[in-house]
Amino acid sequence: MRLPATLLALCLPATLSGQARYTATVGLTAGTQLVKDQIFQTVRVGQKLAPTATLGVSLPVSARERAGLEVTFGFGRTRIKESGLPEADGPRYRTLSVTAGVQGPILDRLSLRASAGVLKYLADDSGIFRGGGPLLFLLGGGADFRLPVRGAVGLIARLRYDYQRFSTNALEAAGFSRSQDVHRLGLGLGVEYSP
Amino acid sequence: MTRATSLTVLVGLSILAASHGCSDIASPARIAGYDWRLVVPYDSAGPREDTLSFHWPRSALPVRIWVEQDQYQVPDRVREGISRWKAAFLYGEWDAVLVADSNTAHVLIRTIEPPSPAAPSAIRFHAQALSCLGATDVDTVASRFQLRVPIRAYVYASVPAASDLTECLRTVAAHELGHTMGLFQHSDSAPDLMFAVPTAEGLTPRDISTVVKAYHYRPDMSPLRP
Repeated sequence: MRLPATLLALCLPATLSGQARYTATVGLTAGTQLVKDQIFQTVRVGQKLAPTATLGVSLPVSARERAGLEVTFGFGRTRIKESGLPEADGPRYRTLSVTAGVQGPILDRLSLRASAGVLKYLADDSGIFRGGGPLLFLLGGGADFRLPVRGAVGLIARLRYDYQRFSTNALEAAGFSRSQDVHRLGLGLGVEYSP
Repeated sequence: MTRATSLTVLVGLSILAASHGCSDIASPARIAGYDWRLVVPYDSAGPREDTLSFHWPRSALPVRIWVEQDQYQVPDRVREGISRWKAAFLYGEWDAVLVADSNTAHVLIRTIEPPSPAAPSAIRFHAQALSCLGATDVDTVASRFQLRVPIRAYVYASVPAASDLTECLRTVAAHELGHTMGLFQHSDSAPDLMFAVPTAEGLTPRDISTVVKAYHYRPDMSPLRP
């Protein structure tokens, strides 16, 4: 924890790095349907639970509130549902997102976060993620529950929600139009460090 | 209410507003392809025919393909064909790998002129290009609802000294792969890869539309390994 924290602190002015709070969490993210297609019958592409890892840094902007950045990497697998055919695993995907947010306490150890950012589906070798996807806008929110452990180190449980309008380069090349509303909900556990 | 709470409410309202209205991606109208289904006689007592569909079940993926080594690098041409066909799919409906052990393969591709079909009930598709030829045998066994595995295909040079032999083998290998995937008819349009005399460099939109439909059509046949 000290090395990433030190590296992140190097990016901040010296006066601010002492007030920074660094977090690292791992967890799982669930999401709504990615694609609905029609080939003889309706084909639905859903998401299986996706492991995610998040790094975050925040700084105080007032006595009660903090502003911060979160970088999240996720990798998951799609699930294909189609009437008359067995349900099956579909293409894998990897995502990278960066969000900026503001958070403030609502209870003693519980804080609320509102955020906006961007998300990218990274290129894969086949299927709907072949060629990756455009940069998607993300709106989200969430809650953090903090549990101080010892000194500058604490534990954190994190709930995150975000919304995106999904499409990929392969889908657009195949003639799909518009985009799909996708809602995701993630739960993460990790540590925080406040030097 | 803190600013964070206010912002959270604002973000929530923005999401509601953004997701209001058209919220589903719109799938494309797919062009008409050609019929891929196998027409098979099934009653020796009368001229009856059945039209049957096959695609590899997900549980069998990746399809294991064994290719005979030869001086014309046919295994490389088959690899290129796998990439072409795989790129036609959006949802991982089909995939294949080359394997070293023919005993475990779903598909055997030889580089010789095809002998008589291994089974008398097999139906043979031929592909004829300028400097190479191909064939695939499909055997639906007696019940006609099962497909005997391994499927046997042949890709071979008919004019070994031809300058376009590599391109020809690339085209014919991809064509025969199409048959092994379940495209059990030829296209009636010359530009298509699955035309009986293939010249196409790659898949046409009709080839793509046809193979995608084949893999979303409920199959009548299942693979049977003896």
